[in-house]
Amino acid sequence: MIYYLGTYLQETVEALSFLRLVHSISFRAIAGAITALVFTIVFGRRFILYFYRAGQRDVPRQYAGMPVSVNQAKTYGGGLIVAAIVLSALLWGQLHSPFVLICLAAIAWFAGLGALDDYLKVRHATSARGLSEAAKLVLQLSFGLFLGLACTLKSVSPLPPELATKLYLPFFKNPVIDLSWGYIPFIVFTVVAIANSVNLADGIDGLAVVPASFVVAVFGVFAYVSSHAKISEFLIFPFMPGVGEVAIICSIVFGACLGFLWFNSYPANVIMGDTGSMALGGLLGTVAVLVKQEFLFLIVGGVFVGEAFSVLVQEKIGIKWLGRRFFERAPIHDHFRMQGLADTKIVIRFWIVAGILALCGLATLKIR
Amino acid sequence: MKYLFTGGGTGGHVYPALAIADEIRNQQEDAEFLYVGLKSKIEARVAPERGYPIRFVYSRPFPGYLSIWPLLRFGLSLGMGICKAILILLWFRPHIIVGTGGYVSAPILLAYGLLARVGLSRAKVFLYEPNARPGLLNRVVGRLGHRIGVAFEQAARWFDMKRVGVVGHPVRRQVIDVDRCQGRQTLGIEPEKKVVLVFGGSGGARTINEAIVEALPQLRQRADILVLHVTGRYRGTDYRAVDDTAQQLRQLGLDGDTADWYWRRDYMDDLHLAYGAADLVVCRGGAATLMEICACGLPALIAPLSGQTDDHQVANARRMEACGAARVLYQGVRWINGDIKPCLDSDNLARQILDLLADEPQRLAMGRIARAQPTLDSLELIKVELANLAAGLRPPPLNLDFPEPEEQLPEDPNALFRWVQKRLDEKDQGRQVTDPEWAYLQYQADRLLASTAWYEIPLGARNVGVKLAGCLQYRARLPLLLEVLQDRRPLGAWQRLWGGDYRHGGILRRNVVEFGLRFMGVADEPVEAALIRALAEDPYFEVRAAAARILGEQHAGSGAAEEALVKALDDRSGRVGIEAVKALGRIGQDPDLRNYLSRFYLHHNWQFRHAVVGALQGLLDRQVVAPEAIAADLEQILATSPYFKPEFPLKESLQALAERLRP
Repeated sequence: MIYYLGTYLQETVEALSFLRLVHSISFRAIAGAITALVFTIVFGRRFILYFYRAGQRDVPRQYAGMPVSVNQAKTYGGGLIVAAIVLSALLWGQLHSPFVLICLAAIAWFAGLGALDDYLKVRHATSARGLSEAAKLVLQLSFGLFLGLACTLKSVSPLPPELATKLYLPFFKNPVIDLSWGYIPFIVFTVVAIANSVNLADGIDGLAVVPASFVVAVFGVFAYVSSHAKISEFLIFPFMPGVGEVAIICSIVFGACLGFLWFNSYPANVIMGDTGSMALGGLLGTVAVLVKQEFLFLIVGGVFVGEAFSVLVQEKIGIKWLGRRFFERAPIHDHFRMQGLADTKIVIRFWIVAGILALCGLATLKIR
Repeated sequence: MKYLFTGGGTGGHVYPALAIADEIRNQQEDAEFLYVGLKSKIEARVAPERGYPIRFVYSRPFPGYLSIWPLLRFGLSLGMGICKAILILLWFRPHIIVGTGGYVSAPILLAYGLLARVGLSRAKVFLYEPNARPGLLNRVVGRLGHRIGVAFEQAARWFDMKRVGVVGHPVRRQVIDVDRCQGRQTLGIEPEKKVVLVFGGSGGARTINEAIVEALPQLRQRADILVLHVTGRYRGTDYRAVDDTAQQLRQLGLDGDTADWYWRRDYMDDLHLAYGAADLVVCRGGAATLMEICACGLPALIAPLSGQTDDHQVANARRMEACGAARVLYQGVRWINGDIKPCLDSDNLARQILDLLADEPQRLAMGRIARAQPTLDSLELIKVELANLAAGLRPPPLNLDFPEPEEQLPEDPNALFRWVQKRLDEKDQGRQVTDPEWAYLQYQADRLLASTAWYEIPLGARNVGVKLAGCLQYRARLPLLLEVLQDRRPLGAWQRLWGGDYRHGGILRRNVVEFGLRFMGVADEPVEAALIRALAEDPYFEVRAAAARILGEQHAGSGAAEEALVKALDDRSGRVGIEAVKALGRIGQDPDLRNYLSRFYLHHNWQFRHAVVGALQGLLDRQVVAPEAIAADLEQILATSPYFKPEFPLKESLQALAERLRP
């Protein structure tokens, strides 16, 4: 809204011509990040107290032989992130841009899905009674399908039509293959996989939120590069006008994540729950699709990929099929816990790994 | 009046139909009958013998799981069956169709549904449901029936109340009317003989046949016994009742002349005579069989077939046991040819038979209670129903209300396990478990152990069976659990490539140790040998770790165990090493142990060092090492701060306050 206000004032009032700043993507990105950060920090405590009074308290997950959550931290912290992101995006985004609308739709859909799951868990007072696996999957798939159609149908796609169904790989200048309609299932898979992997990683205080902020930062840079005619030409990226709005969203999410970490750092006052992890995951997946860097997530989001992979190997291959475990526990951070590493140590090591991976991801800007 | 009867597959569906038909034939001279069934099933033989013309259709049971080929065969066979049934219905033009359930009746009923829709059949349909929970077919075609007769009130809830009548089980008049002298005379049995009638339903039962033959040598000790054994004519790929029983008898050397104490029959059409002659019955727990036994007032040993829908045979048997009319012999399991197979404990069977034969008052009391069970005059009720149908009368609708069903065991194995654990907790708090209930709980472990669902899901029912056997301290299953632990049949090559090892998967073997051996607390030779073997050579780390732990907890003073644990210190999995260190601290006797443990003083994993410190404490406590021998080691052990206990002063003081407020 500030974008429209600024444009209007700059055109009508001579003295306010400096407001053409709002056309600058970098300005709006930084302003959006600060807005989200400040919002979470200022309203965080009241938010936590509100939900505590309303009786929405965390249900610790219970594993055999595992220390259960010692903090009676409140779930629904995800709502705080989502509120900050949506508010800041409404203030600083170009609301008529399809990129912004798609990102907001992703957040709303996945946050709603996660909130439903959280609500059921809290109501039944056990983490086993949430939304069923199948129901979750169907809801995620339906958004994936929506996104797939929105990106590939020539009449509605915000992406340049000649690029819409082309597949890019990191380290390669040119698109490797044109998937045509096969791009839709690919998008569906990408979004569902990324959303679930973030959901799995959210197991220790601060474990999911910092790597997620690294990932959005990197994707933000890629979005910015793709949206900028000169830089994209210099770095030999496909020029996608309008995708700069995604950079703004990424920046806002970065700010919201840091603001959330303010309260979520060990020992946490609030945890994001499925609401937050689903919303963040769904948004990451959507952003990866919109900037056409789906495979970059394998590098930048390596922490999430590793977590998801450990669960896949443990549950599907190990327990269901072979009748054995490969790790002491899955996801992999629980394995490290069982090995005697302190929670804080695991979290910070994961941050370090995520940081290194983010740098590797950034390196693919030039190494191609 | 033309009557068409359909239903079959097993005696439980055929005999009620025939009983009804007999009753009508006796009363109506002009009645015409037709029986429709399957060529390969029991009705093909029994119905013509009773003088009813029979026609054959095609049908197959619904596969129950969604898989292409079985579904296709099912659809094809049912389709052909319906076509043929349409021809039969058009040719015979029955006034009344009586369906007694089972997939055999599906073609006729579905064909009738089609014809009635186009107005080509005016027949009235009477469905009979013998079970407390209706089978799939009757639930589906229930709406086609003009009247539905149910044996149990509980079954009515599945149908439209306006059309349901409770009719009980039709028992053949011959069974009701038979008397002892007539039975013995016709069969040629001397009056002083004690007759034990053993039969496993119309098809025969493998477990009963095998167990009774095994029990014969013991039963023979009683001079006046006569075992009348009806094997049934079951012929399947895995078991042929007649041939396999004969072979088993040959192996036991019992194939000579046994005419004065053991009679074997493939099948008895005049089973009612045997009922009359019998002093004791060993049988399955099907509702139809039990009703006949009650009608005859016979004491019974019931060996219910396990794994039916809702386990209804077991439920029937337990109902009989609870009122004192019978005893239940639960199906057990046994290790046969490298796998777990259901069986019946023959020693227990022989003991129970001899026990009851010796105790005449007890036997007579059981028989009296059985006869006193409420039975409806079912044939009369069904006759009235049919007459009403023919006359177009409608009896008033039933007015049944169903309070919540009695507490049923959870169907899901894991839920069942939690349920049993809860029950055991209650036992610890003083709510006693009676012997029959205990036997029933042990049967649950056996039932799950026998489950083959494990082949698809390694952690399926069998895993829960292992846990249950442990929690219930079911020592009789200890040899079987040891077999599971040491079963070395490999998985397929493809699964081994991915890290699988044996068919009894790693987690299953772990639970054998962790639950089975631990809770049973047996520390004898074979258990120790199995544990040491598992610790040394099992490829799965959780099994080795659990073996080390149990050796430490339960095998103190064993040199072999200590030696194996010392070897396990070098295990490639840290978890196993840690458990071995802890176990050595508990049971180690060797004064040189300190030298083995000192290797871990600087181990990179603090859990190792932690375990070593604990173990040294244990060795000191038991005075295996002298304090001065390890005093200098204090300086050598690397003491990092690997973890911290979070301190929550607010929570702690709140807890203290809570304890004052809510003592």
